[in-house]
Amino acid sequence: MKSDFLQAYKTMLLMRLAEQEIANLYLQNKIMSFVHFYVGQEAVAVGVCDALKKDDKVLGNHRSHGHYLAKGGDLKKMICELLGKENGLAHGKGGSMHMIDKSVNFVGTTPILGSVVPLSCGSAFEQKYSKKNDVTVAFFGDGAFEEGIVYETLNLAALFKLPLLFVVENNLFAVNSKLNDRRSPNYDIEKIVTGFGVKYVRADGNDYQDVSKKAKNLVEEVRTGVPVVLECITYRHMAHSAPIFDEGYREEDVLEKRQEKDPIKKIKQVLLESGMSEKELSDVEDDIKKNVLESIKFAMDSKYPPKESLYTNLYA
Amino acid sequence: MPERIIKYTEAIKEATDQVMEIDPSVFVIGLGVSYKNGADGTTSGLKMKYADRVFDVPVSEAAFTGMAVGSAINGLRPIVHHGRVEFALFASDSIFTQAAKWNYMFGGNNNVPIVFRINVGRQWGNGPQHTQALYSLFGNVLGLKVVIPSTPKMAKGLLVSALRDKNPVVILEPRWLFQLKQDVPVEIYGEPLDKAKIMKEGKDITVVSYGDGLVSALEALSIIGDSVDVELIDVVSINPIDHETIFKSVKKTGRLLCVDTTNEAFNIGSEIISKVAQNQSIHLKNKPTSLACPNVPCPTSTALTEFYYPTKIDIANSILGLFNKPKVDKKLSFEELHLAPTLTII
Repeated sequence: MKSDFLQAYKTMLLMRLAEQEIANLYLQNKIMSFVHFYVGQEAVAVGVCDALKKDDKVLGNHRSHGHYLAKGGDLKKMICELLGKENGLAHGKGGSMHMIDKSVNFVGTTPILGSVVPLSCGSAFEQKYSKKNDVTVAFFGDGAFEEGIVYETLNLAALFKLPLLFVVENNLFAVNSKLNDRRSPNYDIEKIVTGFGVKYVRADGNDYQDVSKKAKNLVEEVRTGVPVVLECITYRHMAHSAPIFDEGYREEDVLEKRQEKDPIKKIKQVLLESGMSEKELSDVEDDIKKNVLESIKFAMDSKYPPKESLYTNLYA
Repeated sequence: MPERIIKYTEAIKEATDQVMEIDPSVFVIGLGVSYKNGADGTTSGLKMKYADRVFDVPVSEAAFTGMAVGSAINGLRPIVHHGRVEFALFASDSIFTQAAKWNYMFGGNNNVPIVFRINVGRQWGNGPQHTQALYSLFGNVLGLKVVIPSTPKMAKGLLVSALRDKNPVVILEPRWLFQLKQDVPVEIYGEPLDKAKIMKEGKDITVVSYGDGLVSALEALSIIGDSVDVELIDVVSINPIDHETIFKSVKKTGRLLCVDTTNEAFNIGSEIISKVAQNQSIHLKNKPTSLACPNVPCPTSTALTEFYYPTKIDIANSILGLFNKPKVDKKLSFEELHLAPTLTII
């Protein structure tokens, strides 16, 4: 158990430290791509992906660095993509909002809110059609949940009994709009979901233990053709698409609040209580930091795509 | 081979059936495709033969089209049917932004082998919201291949090729042509997705059209007779347009008429005329001409639709006018003006 937590801690910390460096690159105009930071939400991706097998598939949205790394992604290739380099995940044509890596069954990400949901449903459809015993996970946010296509897809997934886990990362904001400004006072996501005949479970998205425990149980049920919505209530620490701690629109968003809800702080506490020392954990952190800096150097040294590649890949 | 005359819709069904027999990754999805006479007969009987591969769906175009695209991303080959283009627009994100961009935006890492069969255009009494022929809209979207079958033979061959292709292919099927008949080969065959087809060779003028406009142009040929030697070209593909075939023809004839059965603004004829006009090696004897529908939606009343679509008489007279020949003074019957053609194409 302790080793599971340590592994989860490492993956979450990798996301955090990588994004800190990515923020620096962004501020230096080295990354000419939208970047939507995952800081604060790491427990969701890691908790859910820890419940998956390698053949299970994952799709994500505009905020998917964490989803990709949690599925076993390659940090070097990811940073290359962010920098627009030839050896990036999409050879520089996608950028931060378009992660893909079939070698780890990471199907792809799209920043058009809600679009990932029917596409994931299609992935689950294929798994059922081809009689595979795999599941698909769709990661999307509370903003995307307001797109009509999501409601249509809930019905479709239940109708066709598809092995699809919808993970709603409710980070409380759609860009800068609060839930209260977007949803009627009686809006009840559980009633909506269960009204379509889809199972609904809520987890504390700031707590790795809660997410992973629930995800592990649910994924096996999903595997039998029962679609489920897992809503993880979490907290986006940074602005919608910039590496700043924008506090203007959040009544309660102060440093103390962020730290109190920090999933990495929480899991670190668990590890300390299980007998690991501060020194051991700081060594772990140093290793990860080294890996991140190496990956960034590798990406910075990598080549840009040649001009001709502007015209390639439109058709297969 | 003995003649085997079948309808446009039957040709589509035959192509679907023949490909489904060979390729288990092909499935059909759309509203009512499992009905006895599903999708205007283009899917009739398929549910009986392929119980697990023909899917009726909720009235949720966005979701089921997106689901089909997702399944194609993961290796299946869906045929998505939309009985009216207006309803397909609910799914425009899945078609235009997801399926069409997926391979490019991921640097060629994931092709999307999907076929969208979308019925468009003219049909009696269907009015402004059921008759749009939004060809240009689809032609404008990079990453899609877009074809328009004008005859039963092409309907079969293009669908077979679309199902063998690795990319998203949109087949815009003019509903007006569903009753058209032709001698269609029984065996499975493909037609190129990116080539225009010369329907009739000629030396005096190049007439370029597609869909129901092409059928009217074919009929116009028999009105004109031998007085003008027309070269008639079926565009077939509007993404890409086979400009080379058109250039070659216009170089020979020195004259160009484009016939569209959609409104005049931003249409296929405009695109072709623009490219011909920019070609320095083409010298035209007359200014290029375009025949198209007026820039208003198609109304419902037959008293108004009578003046909406270019008829075979309009086409014949446009051509005759260019050669200063006497125009034809013939009034079309109510049936000819307002009911879909049932003729047999040679």
